Amino acid sequence: MKRRMRIYGVLIGLAPVLLHRMAHACAVCLNGAGGERLTDAFNWSVLFLMAMPYTILFSVIGFFFYSYRRAAKKARGETEKGTPLHLAWIHKESGR
Amino acid sequence: MSSEAIARKVVEPALPAFGGGEPPDRPAGLSQPLVTNARLALLMLIAAETMFFSGLIGAFIVFRVASQAWPPPFQPRLPVGVTAVNTVILLLSGFSAHLALRAVRAGKSALLVKRLSITVALGTVFLCVQGYEWLRLIRYGLKLSSGVYGATFYTLIGCHGAHVLGAALWLLIVLAQARKGRFTEHDYAGVQLCGMYWTFVVALWPILYGLVYLY
Repeated sequence: MKRRMRIYGVLIGLAPVLLHRMAHACAVCLNGAGGERLTDAFNWSVLFLMAMPYTILFSVIGFFFYSYRRAAKKARGETEKGTPLHLAWIHKESGR
Repeated sequence: MSSEAIARKVVEPALPAFGGGEPPDRPAGLSQPLVTNARLALLMLIAAETMFFSGLIGAFIVFRVASQAWPPPFQPRLPVGVTAVNTVILLLSGFSAHLALRAVRAGKSALLVKRLSITVALGTVFLCVQGYEWLRLIRYGLKLSSGVYGATFYTLIGCHGAHVLGAALWLLIVLAQARKGRFTEHDYAGVQLCGMYWTFVVALWPILYGLVYLY
């Protein structure tokens, strides 16, 4: 059973090489002559789709950076505001 | 040292500095997570949705750039003017969602309900106008089966419409919760998440409008 599965796996892996004529109709083939409408269309589409994951990634990183800056600013503000409270607590608990 | 003092020392934990007692809460800030789990999850969902729409836009670009004439001959033209007004309505709904978030942050519950209601109303108007325009286009002969023009139009705009519908339903749920006083200035995650998603569907629309209606 295992051996048969292995043979099938090898055959499936070799299929694109052995039956390469069937794989000629590549949807994103960039070997077409430049300036042709369909080639240009595919080129633009590929460029757009290639750029999108990076755009999303950098947007998410930007969002995290913005959140970090905002939290740091908030923390700084609260520390400055919080100092008298700390002192009041120390004063109250020390009983002086 | 008396036995009572020894027992107290054993039972009671070591006192913190400056007179004992519980120390005050740590100030909020960097000690807390920058982004809550819910916001992170929604961010991932929005990233996935963006890739989904990118795929559809990529397919549209192929058909649009490759075609000799767009719209193809004997196909109805899209209603550019009405949809421009509809775009403004959707952008206004995004702005009112932002104002609703500001209201809940300020602890103004009545204002939150009012602004959420405006957002839902504007979103519903957008959907109704879109539906009406679709019915007109179908009457004029633009169908899903009438070539790539109809197919790309209904797929792209239909997917966005479905997302707006889902977001509007979510807004309705948030509005119902806001009416019951569920949100406060310290606990408003529901409004924030819904606002984020609504902003996404609103921000996506001008891109689709420019691409499908104007390009």
